[in-house]
Amino acid sequence: MRRFHIMLAVLLALLVPGMAFAQVDFSRYVAMGDSLTAGFTSGSLNATYQAWSFPAQLAGAFGVSDFQQPLVSPPGIPAILQLRGLFPTVILPASGQGVPLNLNLPRPYNNMGVPGATLHDLIATTTDNGGLHDLILRRQGFTQLEEGLGLHPTFVTLWIGNNDVLGAALSGRVIDGVTMTPVAQFQAMLTTAVGAIAQSGAKMAIANIPDVTTIPFVNTLPIYIFNPQTNQPVLVNGHPIPFIGPNGPLQPGDYVLLTASSELAQGKGIPVALGGSGQPLSDSVVLSAAEVAAIQARVNAFNAIIAGLASQVGAALVDDHALLHQLESGFVPVGGIEFTGAFLTGGIFGYDGFHPTKIGYGFIANLFIEAINQKFGTKVPLVDLSKVMFSGSTTSALRSVHGDQGVTSFVFTEQAAASLRKALNVPTDAQINQILRRRGHHGHH
Amino acid sequence: MYRVGKALVVVALAALAAAPLSAAGFGIFEQGAKANGMAGAFTAQADDPSALFFNAGGLGFVTKQEFSLGFTWIRSSKAEFRGANPYPGVGYRADQKTLSEFPPHFYWVRPINNVWKFGFGIETPFGLTTEWNDNFAGRFISTKAALRVFDLNPTLGWQVTPSFGIGVGAIVRYSDLELNQHVGAINPFTLGVADVGKINLKGDFSEGYGWNIGILHKYNNSFSWGLSYRSRVTVDYEGNGRLTQIPTGTPFDQVVAGVLPYGVKLPVKTSIDYPDMASLGLAMALNPTMLLEVDVNWTGWSRFKDLNVDFTGGSGNSLPDATIHERWKDVYNYRAGFRWTTSPSGQWRFGYVYDQTPQPEQSVNPLLPDADRNGFTIGYGFTGAMKVDLSLMYLDFKERSRSVSFADDTSGPFYGKYKTRAWLFGATVTF
Repeated sequence: MRRFHIMLAVLLALLVPGMAFAQVDFSRYVAMGDSLTAGFTSGSLNATYQAWSFPAQLAGAFGVSDFQQPLVSPPGIPAILQLRGLFPTVILPASGQGVPLNLNLPRPYNNMGVPGATLHDLIATTTDNGGLHDLILRRQGFTQLEEGLGLHPTFVTLWIGNNDVLGAALSGRVIDGVTMTPVAQFQAMLTTAVGAIAQSGAKMAIANIPDVTTIPFVNTLPIYIFNPQTNQPVLVNGHPIPFIGPNGPLQPGDYVLLTASSELAQGKGIPVALGGSGQPLSDSVVLSAAEVAAIQARVNAFNAIIAGLASQVGAALVDDHALLHQLESGFVPVGGIEFTGAFLTGGIFGYDGFHPTKIGYGFIANLFIEAINQKFGTKVPLVDLSKVMFSGSTTSALRSVHGDQGVTSFVFTEQAAASLRKALNVPTDAQINQILRRRGHHGHH
Repeated sequence: MYRVGKALVVVALAALAAAPLSAAGFGIFEQGAKANGMAGAFTAQADDPSALFFNAGGLGFVTKQEFSLGFTWIRSSKAEFRGANPYPGVGYRADQKTLSEFPPHFYWVRPINNVWKFGFGIETPFGLTTEWNDNFAGRFISTKAALRVFDLNPTLGWQVTPSFGIGVGAIVRYSDLELNQHVGAINPFTLGVADVGKINLKGDFSEGYGWNIGILHKYNNSFSWGLSYRSRVTVDYEGNGRLTQIPTGTPFDQVVAGVLPYGVKLPVKTSIDYPDMASLGLAMALNPTMLLEVDVNWTGWSRFKDLNVDFTGGSGNSLPDATIHERWKDVYNYRAGFRWTTSPSGQWRFGYVYDQTPQPEQSVNPLLPDADRNGFTIGYGFTGAMKVDLSLMYLDFKERSRSVSFADDTSGPFYGKYKTRAWLFGATVTF
C-alpha cells in the first residue's frame, strides 16, 4: 500500500510539471516594474491612460477580470502634458492635479509598477515620503516585490532596470553609482528579485531595456542649428553649424535632449553671430557621444543579465530593445498605417518623449503575448489595437493657446521637464553636483 | 490614324470589359456560355467559336463562318470580412459593395479553305474589382481596386487531318487599372490615427503581347483530347495619381500639407506580369447523346510576385515608391463537364470545378482576398435560327483566413476571415 502511494506520488511529480507547462495559469496576474509597467504616459499617472497600461491590456487578453491598478483621476499625478500648439510647438502640463481613486482596495494592486522605481526600489523601498511609492505601496511596510508576491501570483511580468540606466539620459549626466547602477549590483539585485518570484511558483515574463538612442527624448533634436520654420539646418558657407555644448561645439554622435528646447528658445547653444546668446547648453540637456556609449554599454550588460536569468528560471524574454530599434530605424505597420518611434507623429511615444501612448502600450502588450505564447506554448490572443489606434480627442487647450506670443521654436517647457523629472525621481543637476561633492570629500567607494 | 483607331477600340471595349473573381487569382475563365455550362471543361471539345479562347485547335475544324457574342454577368451574393486581433479586431465586420460586372466575349471564325481557318476573338481573361464601404477599417490598404483586361486574339487554324487540328494565335492585351486607398497619419494633437488623405492611382490603358497555341485530336467517335496553352503577357502601365487632403481641423493639417503633394498630378508607373496557362482535356462520349469531359488547368501564377508602384515625378509631385508583395504560386484547377443532348435543338450541360488559389495567406488582403473555390454549373443550349447558350454557375469560396504576415510586409496585420459567394450568369449567341 505504501509502495503504491510512493509510486503515485512519483507519477504525479512526473505528470504535473508537464501539465503546468502546457497550460499556464494566468488567473492571478501581477505586474512589477516602473513607470512603463504603471502605464505612465505623457509625464503622468492618469486613469484615462492607466486603463491602457500594458499590464491592463495583457490582463484583458489573459481573461483576468479583477485586475486592480492604483488609478489616479485626470489630469493625473503629475498633471498630464499637453500639446498646446504646433506653430510654435508648446508642451505644457495641464493645470490641476488628480487624486487617487483606488486607495482603499483591501489588498495589493495587481499592477505594482511604481514610476521612477529602480531595481533597488523594487526589492528595498517601502516608502518615499509622499511620492508615488507611497501612492502605490500605501505605506504597508512592504516593498513592491513583497506586496506583489503577497497576492500569490500565478503569473508575473517584470520590467525593471530602465531607471537604473536610462535615468542617466533624463538627467543628461552619466555617473556610475549615481545615475547608473553598477553592473555587479544590478546582477545581484535582479538575481534576488527573479529568484524570489520563481520560488513563489509563478510563471514569468521578463522584459529587457531599450537602447537610449531609440527614445525620442534623446533622438528628436538635431545637433545642428536649425530653422524652426523649416526644420532644416542653417547653413553657413554650405556647412551646418553645431550647437555649442558644455564642452564646445557638438560633434556627430552627441545628442541634444528634448529638455534643451527651452534653453534653445533663450538663445543658449547658439553663437551670437547667428542671433543666439553664445552661452553653451547645460550639461544636463546634452548627451555626449561618450556618455551615449557608456549608457549603451550598460544597457547591453543589463540585458545580458536579464536574458541569462530569464533563461535560467524558464521565463519568457520580451525584447523591447529590438522593437524600439525597429520603430526607430524604420516603421511597424498595422492595417496599412505606419507607426514609428518619431516624437509627436510616430504614434508610439507620448508628449514626454519617453513613455508610450496607448498604442505603444498595445504594441508592448502584444510583444509580451508573443513571447509568452512562444515560451509556454499558450494561445493567448493578441490585443485589439483598433481600440487604441483611433481614440483620443483634440485637447481644448489647443485652440486657446494656438498662436501664443513670445515662443519662437519648439519648446518642451521647463515646467514639463521639471514635472517629468520629479515624477521619475531623476536628480537635478544641483543634486547630482551635491552628491559628487560629497563623494569628493569622502573619496570613492 | 493608328492612335485614333486604338483609342476607339479602347473606349468601346472599356465600357464592357470588367471585373473579377471567377478563376482563382484574378483570372476569368468564363469566356463562353457553352463551356461555362460544363464548368469550363471544354478543351477536348472546343466545338464552337469560343474555341479561340478554350483551345485554338478547335478552329481547325471550323466549316462555316460564325459570329459569337456574349457576356458573363458576375454578381457577388456575399463578400464579407470578419476581423481578428490585433487589427481590425475580433467583432469587426465589413462587407464589400455588391459586385455586378459583365465581362464580354466576342468571336468570329471563318474557313479560308478546307485546311486553313481564320478566327478573331476578343476575350476578358483577367479582371478584378474589390470595393469596400467608406469607413472600412482596411481603408489604409485599399478602398477600391479595379483591373480591366481584354485580349485581341487573331488566330490561324490548320486542319492537319480530318481528326487533328492545330491553332496558333497572337494576343494583344489591353488593360487599365485603378487603386484607391486612404492615407493615415498620427495626429499629434490626439496621438491617434487620423485620415489625412485619399489617394487615387490610375494606370491608363496599355498593351502587352503574347501568343497561344492549341491542338485538338478526335481520336475516334467517342474519344477526343485537347491541349491548350496561352502565354505570359506583361503589361507596363503609366498613369497619374492624385492625393486629396482630408482635413483634421487642427494645425496638423498645415504640417501634412507641407509634406504631402496634395492636388497635383503624380506620375506613376507599374507593371503586372500575367501568368501563362495550360489546359489538358479528355472527352469521352458515353453514348450518342451524352459526353463527359475532364480537364486539368495549370496557371503559372508564380510570375505574380510583387506589385511595384513607382512614382516618377520630381520633388513636389511624387510619393515614396511602394511594393505590394504577392508571392503567388503556380496552381492547378480541375474541371468536369457533362453534356446531354436531349433533342436535335437542345442540350443540357452540367459541371463542377475545383479551383485552387495561388495566393499565399500572407498576401490575402482587402485589395484581393482570394480563396480556393468550388463551382457548380448548369447550362442549356438551344439551336434555332441562331444558337443561344445560357449558363449559371454558383461559386463558393472557401473561408479564407489571414493571421500571418510576410516579414517585409509593408501593410502589417489586417487579420481576419473572408467569405465570398457569387453567381455567374452567362449568355452567348452564335450566328
